[in-house]
Amino acid sequence: MNGFLYGIALQWKLDLRSKTMLITCYAVPLLFFAVMGGIFTSVMPESRYTLIQSMTVFSVTMGALIGLPPSLAEIYRSDVKNAYQANGVPLSFGLFLTNISAFVHLLIMSFILYVIAPVVFDAKIPVHPGTYFAGVTILIAVSLSIASVIGLAAKSAANTSMISILLFLPSTMLSGIMFPNNMLPKAFVMAGKLFPATWGYAFLTESTFIWNNLWPLLVIFVIAALLCAFLMKRIETRQ
Amino acid sequence: MTDALQVKGLRKSYGKKEVLKGVDLCIRKGDIFALLGVNGAGKTTMLECIEGLRRYDSGSIAISGRMGIQLQSASLPAYIKGIEAVRLFAKWNKATVNTSMLVSLGVNDLSGKQYREMSTGQKRRLHLALALISDPDIVFLDEPTAGLDVEGRISLHEYIRTLKAQGKTILLASHDMAEVESLCDSIAILKDGQIAFEGTVNELTEAVGKHYNICIKTSQGTETFEADNIGDSLISILKGYQEKSVDIHDIQVDRGSLEQHFVKIARGSRE
Repeated sequence: MNGFLYGIALQWKLDLRSKTMLITCYAVPLLFFAVMGGIFTSVMPESRYTLIQSMTVFSVTMGALIGLPPSLAEIYRSDVKNAYQANGVPLSFGLFLTNISAFVHLLIMSFILYVIAPVVFDAKIPVHPGTYFAGVTILIAVSLSIASVIGLAAKSAANTSMISILLFLPSTMLSGIMFPNNMLPKAFVMAGKLFPATWGYAFLTESTFIWNNLWPLLVIFVIAALLCAFLMKRIETRQ
Repeated sequence: MTDALQVKGLRKSYGKKEVLKGVDLCIRKGDIFALLGVNGAGKTTMLECIEGLRRYDSGSIAISGRMGIQLQSASLPAYIKGIEAVRLFAKWNKATVNTSMLVSLGVNDLSGKQYREMSTGQKRRLHLALALISDPDIVFLDEPTAGLDVEGRISLHEYIRTLKAQGKTILLASHDMAEVESLCDSIAILKDGQIAFEGTVNELTEAVGKHYNICIKTSQGTETFEADNIGDSLISILKGYQEKSVDIHDIQVDRGSLEQHFVKIARGSRE
């Protein structure tokens, strides 16, 4: 096994040990699913048609925005990066490892919701599982790219929590998973369009592939990736 | 290139403040070399420039062979175990884990221990093991014994001597003068961004003048004297005791510690 593959496997283990990922990727989303799933399906029985999608968008948004930034800050805002540099490991290594590990965790959680929601709340399975999981994959990647920007830009691990919450709350509240978008004031609807959760939810709830719900996600991803490249360059260049 | 490291005209500024003002330095292969200087003299900047961790404005740095770096301020993820860190860096550097090196440094005992559970000394030993993992030709050690207990310090000194015996070159930054005196073949003192002295410990003693400390134990107590001319001074002191009919029990003469000489050069004053 080469250094990169060993690093991925190791990061996976570290995420499990740190418990942050366990809590943000599994424990809280499952709790949210158990409580809100029950409420949604009782109050609005038709919500079972979009329950898998809404719970998945919540889990991905939470796991990415709350779970990933502290891991990145631990590497790049501490002396860990010195150890990497001193031992000939490229600094971008930490960014890749944490993203890949978080990606796998979030994909597993999405699959868990996909399997248990129909059993527990009689949720309706998406018509095209292939398109659905392609959408989930894209949503995870885009959410992680934004989380990476937070992790690389924050001054400390503690600082990431504040920024993450500031993005996480409007992401979930304005994306349509909590309230139907047509019930929100127009300004909130427009604000919600800035977040990947809105476009991800729209993409996942459609029974067909809708390009208009996909390209905004790709634009957000490209912008976030460019910001990550800029921030990484700034971290690498010690004056 | 017969030298392990050659630095020529190294300059580095932070804004308008020039920290390194054209530093020249040469380290022979197989030497243990200490870079000394008071806080703010530019040691860390110089080391980081040499190690490739910091950009410099001008000058040249030539290093012969592979580098192993133990930084003073390095850390690892809180939940990583000792053996995992060793394996990660070994795999990344395509190196084979040297078990005897791990045993010598006591890192094998830390295999199952997470980084957050390690003491300062244990972390320091682990970082040294990581620095040595690729079997480097030149090893940079920044305050290697800081935070170690006496036993750990002694065993690390022994290991540094073992590295030297293996033909490795060691560049050491330390504030512990006793450590430098007992380990190092040569030293350089950095002062205000320039090399104020470069040579052996004995050469430093010569450079600061033949300054002696004389300690005499008598029936009336212990007295210490400082002298530049040992012969005349000692005769004069002993005559004084003879005239007062004082019994002399012991006489000790030393040429001052490295610390005293260092302070003299680094601060430009006599202490």
